[in-house]
Amino acid sequence: MKTDQVKKINYAYLLSYILVPLAAAALSLFIGYTFFREGGTGAAICMFIIPFLAVLWWIFAPRNIYRLGKKRMVKQLDELGIDRRQIFYSDGCVVSMDIAKGKIGLMFFWNPFQVQVVPAARVSRAWTDDGAGGAGFLRGTSRVSFLFEIDGIKIRVNTFISNQRWKMNDEKVLEGISKADLWVQVLDQARSQGEGA
Amino acid sequence: MGLIDKLLRKYQNDWCRECNCTMEKARKQLFALPGVSVGHYTEHKDPAFYRKSLRIVDKKADIPPGMYACGAIQYRCPECARRVTVLDPFLPVRDEEKHEAGVVFSGGELDDFLWR
Repeated sequence: MKTDQVKKINYAYLLSYILVPLAAAALSLFIGYTFFREGGTGAAICMFIIPFLAVLWWIFAPRNIYRLGKKRMVKQLDELGIDRRQIFYSDGCVVSMDIAKGKIGLMFFWNPFQVQVVPAARVSRAWTDDGAGGAGFLRGTSRVSFLFEIDGIKIRVNTFISNQRWKMNDEKVLEGISKADLWVQVLDQARSQGEGA
Repeated sequence: MGLIDKLLRKYQNDWCRECNCTMEKARKQLFALPGVSVGHYTEHKDPAFYRKSLRIVDKKADIPPGMYACGAIQYRCPECARRVTVLDPFLPVRDEEKHEAGVVFSGGELDDFLWR
């Protein structure tokens, strides 16, 4: 559990996510090419199964590690006695807020092994980004998020994300904006609580 | 009134199905639903839930962000004096509103509630 500088990316994890399967696939292809030129089970394992497992790792591993991280975060917050009734699960990070204690719990997609608890008083500002773009009837958004800064580090939490552009008055967009506005209010409330404490 | 008009009227809340006439708006009130926040709305058909949860507010600006509101209109038939209360739960989002399915109480369940 950390309370110092917020770390959004664990570079060791990010590099190992990319490089370890790459190295394993390259090594296995090398072994297959060198020792199993005539084919057989060894060739199938080295030339197909291990590279295939590497691709599966790239596709599925981070999402599942993040999912497990969410469960671990909940447990850790409970152990610390931090009220986690206000928690928001986003695609890039999980934010938990204990307004009474003025504490924010954070866990990031690219840093899923570390639950970071920081005092809410360290939040310098919080705002909503509705992602509105385009003019006239093309005006719309594909992402709504709330953002906040802790020690100058900007943290973006998506409340709505899509690969299409949606009208600003679409129900999904409105719900995203509402969630973002609610969380900005919660962050402001927790910050003032933390400053008062 | 034409046949099509009559058919369409049947699905309007301000239409008295007994007397086949337009009901008049007897009361209109805006409420907050403080226990219901964005992403946690579930439809309720029980009038007791609304009696317990609705809080009178003067204007939409009094509703905090992310909280649901509920518009209530009570219609009264000028001929048979029958009353119908129509609830319209919605999520106010800046200048827009996200409306949920309306709830109609035509059995007198909320007749007195709007007149408190």
